[in-house]
Amino acid sequence: MEDEIKHGNVTHVPNKGSPESPHVTCCDSNNSNNNNNQNNNNKEQDRFLPIANVSRILKKVIPSNGKISKDAKETIQECVSEFISFVTGEASDKCQREKRKTINGDDIIWAITTLGFEEYVGPLKLYLSKYREMEGEKLIFPKQQRSDQRRQHSEYEQNIVFNNNNNININTNSNNNVNSSINVYPSFVPSDQPFSLPFSSNSFQKQLQ
Amino acid sequence: MRQAGTYSGILSGGISGKTGPHLLPLARIKKIMKRSGEDVKMISGESPIVFSKACELFIKELTQRSWMVTMQGKRRTLNKEDVASAVMATDLFDFLVNLVSESGNSGEAPPPLELDTFTSS
Repeated sequence: MEDEIKHGNVTHVPNKGSPESPHVTCCDSNNSNNNNNQNNNNKEQDRFLPIANVSRILKKVIPSNGKISKDAKETIQECVSEFISFVTGEASDKCQREKRKTINGDDIIWAITTLGFEEYVGPLKLYLSKYREMEGEKLIFPKQQRSDQRRQHSEYEQNIVFNNNNNININTNSNNNVNSSINVYPSFVPSDQPFSLPFSSNSFQKQLQ
Repeated sequence: MRQAGTYSGILSGGISGKTGPHLLPLARIKKIMKRSGEDVKMISGESPIVFSKACELFIKELTQRSWMVTMQGKRRTLNKEDVASAVMATDLFDFLVNLVSESGNSGEAPPPLELDTFTSS
């Protein structure tokens, strides 16, 4: 939290290209500055990715006994924002040339390649294709459909249990009527009857015959 | 530079059921994208997703190169000057040169170190 507030002390920089205005070094700023600037900092924080997320990633690539200074983290934080702006600008120019309004994932990948980060392209394409695949699955198997199927199955089980207690009904009825009797005679069911099947469905078939 | 870790977010469920969890907040990425220019108007839903992965790779590369500088100085703490040195030494990071040289470095930038042969497995 403190890192983000400190970063908010930076004066506003132009959007395009590298920042021209001098960067206020926050290394030796005190906590007393934070309270004054806290209300003004929300917009400034939007310029960077959260430092906690950035920290988590960069810790993965240094040994466990290595340390990173706070100003190094902040510098990397700024570099990432610059990277995003840099690539987005390139992708946006491409869309303008091709008279398209929306920047999509492929434009980003193209811009990243053009700017020299070809090594990223392989993992990125894989990542993007996995994402598209997951999105497609969500459309085919909505959650509602799966829960409906479960409900229907449990109702069927209950009806089979009802009929097992009524042997007389089963034996005297013809096959046609057996099917219809499954859904009738709720009064014969004792209230303490468990819903789970006390027998296998195979044995039930034999009783009918 | 393909590491097993690069893919692990996918294989171990980085995209798990929904579109998350990602390491970086998508809304923030989108805001930063929009700040990059007046003509950036519409951004597809998958753009921040691609960026979250790209930024992760970028952070890792920048950090690794900076850490090389740290080790060459026989230190265990990566500081801002190490990041600046890594940027200066890497052609790919030319767009960051102004950014790191303004970050409190007085006078000239430190002499560039030869890191172009850097490869990480």
